[in-house]
Amino acid sequence: MMVAWFKEVIFPSPLELANGKIVKPKRSPMVYVLPIIFVLILISMEITGFDFMVLVNRGYQFFVIIGRMIPPDLGFIPKVIQPMIETIMMSIVGTLVGAFFALPLAFLSSDNIIKNKIFLWVNRFVFSIFRTLPILIIALLAKYVFGLGSFAGTVAIALFTWLIMTKMLYELIETVDMGPFEAVESSGAGRLKAFWVSILPQILGQFISFILYNFEMNVRSASILGYVGAGGIGLLLNEKLGWRQYDKVSTILLTLLVTVYAIETLSRAIRKKLS
Amino acid sequence: MKESILLAYKKRPRAWILNLAIFIFIVLIFIASTPYIPYKGIQEKSISIAYSILYGITQPDFSYFLDFSKGALPYLLLETIAIAFLGTLIGAVFALPFAFLSARNVVPKWMAHVGTFFIAVIRTFPAFVYGLMFIRVTGPGPFTGVLTLAVSGIGMTAKLFTESIEDLDMGIIEGLDASGCTTIQKIRYGIIPQLMSNFLSTTIYRFEINVKNASILGLVGAGGIGYPILAAMGAYRWKDAGTLLFGLIVVILIIDYFSGRLRKKLATGQ
Amino acid sequence: MIEFKNVVKTYPGNVKALQGVSCQIQQGEFVAIIGLSGAGKSTFIRCINQMHTITSGEIIVNDENVTALKGNDLRHFRRKIGMVFQSFNLVKRTTVIKNVLTARVADMSLWKSLLGLYTKEDKILALTALDNVGILDKAYLRADTLSGGQAQRVALARCLAQKPDIILADEPVASLDPLTSQQVMEDFVKINKEFNITVVANMHHVDIAQKYAQRIIGIKAGKIVFDGPSQSLTNDDLTNIYGRSLQHDEIKGLE
Repeated sequence: MMVAWFKEVIFPSPLELANGKIVKPKRSPMVYVLPIIFVLILISMEITGFDFMVLVNRGYQFFVIIGRMIPPDLGFIPKVIQPMIETIMMSIVGTLVGAFFALPLAFLSSDNIIKNKIFLWVNRFVFSIFRTLPILIIALLAKYVFGLGSFAGTVAIALFTWLIMTKMLYELIETVDMGPFEAVESSGAGRLKAFWVSILPQILGQFISFILYNFEMNVRSASILGYVGAGGIGLLLNEKLGWRQYDKVSTILLTLLVTVYAIETLSRAIRKKLS
Repeated sequence: MKESILLAYKKRPRAWILNLAIFIFIVLIFIASTPYIPYKGIQEKSISIAYSILYGITQPDFSYFLDFSKGALPYLLLETIAIAFLGTLIGAVFALPFAFLSARNVVPKWMAHVGTFFIAVIRTFPAFVYGLMFIRVTGPGPFTGVLTLAVSGIGMTAKLFTESIEDLDMGIIEGLDASGCTTIQKIRYGIIPQLMSNFLSTTIYRFEINVKNASILGLVGAGGIGYPILAAMGAYRWKDAGTLLFGLIVVILIIDYFSGRLRKKLATGQ
Repeated sequence: MIEFKNVVKTYPGNVKALQGVSCQIQQGEFVAIIGLSGAGKSTFIRCINQMHTITSGEIIVNDENVTALKGNDLRHFRRKIGMVFQSFNLVKRTTVIKNVLTARVADMSLWKSLLGLYTKEDKILALTALDNVGILDKAYLRADTLSGGQAQRVALARCLAQKPDIILADEPVASLDPLTSQQVMEDFVKINKEFNITVVANMHHVDIAQKYAQRIIGIKAGKIVFDGPSQSLTNDDLTNIYGRSLQHDEIKGLE
């Protein structure tokens, strides 16, 4: 059954339509893509030491920790609230600051506004390099500059949001209707003013959506920030993991789950209202 | 001046009141946040450290790139890609059932809610927590990295898969139904062509993210270039850290470029 | 006064849009430009306010050599020239009044325009402009709720709020139905007469051009082949401008 199924997917048989026409499907690119992927899998398994038997024999160990997480230590919740608020504050401030600086940089990175190709190319290349830096590395660098604590974490969130949001924004700006921009420019306004009154109203709703989306992401990644000592709930999580108090770990994760869920619900409601 | 114009002027909506309210609200949030985000000044050595890292990244030691022994830069990069590749594939395979079980046009609504909730739970665990859990199974090393990326990727991948499934054009399937197709044919001609490119695109996107996430794996010693970078930074070996980062950045830029082109191709269907 | 002196415009790829155009347009005239699409009508209009730069020749507007203008001087010059487009070019997701007010930002300081601090005079000016085109009651509606004719009137009001000497109109009624076209054209005529504003408009339909403009300029392959009062335009002239007899829908936009 499975074999026939795969054969049908890779070497599809001709399909006869009701009107007697026979459709011969194009040979799927899978014919040569699949073997390549198969070889790559084998090579990767060799490099990473992937061993199925280890999973079969020791897989239960994975569930040992999960088992110790249940039931969560609910009495620990009051101690989680404070760091959670700290994380939320860090995320709000970091996201807003990042978004604030993303708008001007996106303006300078949109090919329908900036006509100087060399400037545009250099600008985008430099920032695409910065964008490859994972938030963990940014947080570490922020820690070296601002010391341990939530300020470094907030700076890391702001920088990370700034870089990502800039790209999201300029990709959006490049799809807007340029007619109004042309009209305002023809009335003698400069490009910045024309952008502000003719393009910003078109992207404002999406921009707010991006801010909410990034806020969610940042609350999630807060746990990693704590790991390098950059404040928030992650710090507590890291500590409890270190002490192997898994019932407290699960309490922290539970709080995070509830918080993220609440934020998601709220932002979905706001987005619905915007559109 | 005409009466009607003055009247219209008087009737103007006072949008600035709302804008001012939003502005004040944001200012209040910033004020409220200050006790949580204390500014303790800039570290003494920060300028020289920042300079060292920048110097390391811009002046990488290219001899690192010519050392092909195990544990040297090229091998670490290869290992990172291999971890990300396997991790992404396994994650995508496991994401499939979750995705179908939470798609509202496939299963009943209550089932979809359960599925969505499950995905949310998987997503809540930070990657390094999975890393710590898998280390007990497979010990430190790249194998753990593969499992960590696989499981931590399920959440996002499944969510994006679900969105593609819910966007399915059911009209095509009904059309095939009407022309008397078998189930396999319906899947082959109605569903796979619609879903395949979206799924592939999502998987490639996740692969990009996973290569970037390699540094997180370093936190728990789960292989790849992450740990050497963090170790070099921790020991203030800035030149090493800069060179390793340079290597990772180059790999990410190359992967981003090709995956971007591939995804564009998938989206436009050529 | 607008004066073209031997103006040549060549696009990349050696596409010649204007090939030595010379003419004068006096203040307060209503001029329609007709010709096949691709003949250079749009280029002609857009050269006047330098939305397109010309390759050689000179354009003089109110004693100023426009072709030499750059940066601030160019923007300052454009404030006196309004422009209306075939697709209206309104910001759809905002209100009518805000669309009209965008005409004022060129005169405002940067920080005031960023904060949207329009003065009472600006707002009255914008409302008066809307009243002039007869849609004062739509001032606080969102622009995407308007019909095509109303949208083009808002665009015209936006021009008026600029207090221009000249209005350039690039196919202003080409996307409107015949009846609405006439109403919008009547607004153009009214503004032309009442405020002595020069109107230069590209027209797709010859009969509309003839009915509302005082003067017609026919362009063929980048050259002026007819220039005279609209009554003097004959069928032979039309055949010359279009290079063939006109099809019914090219003449008739008025029914």
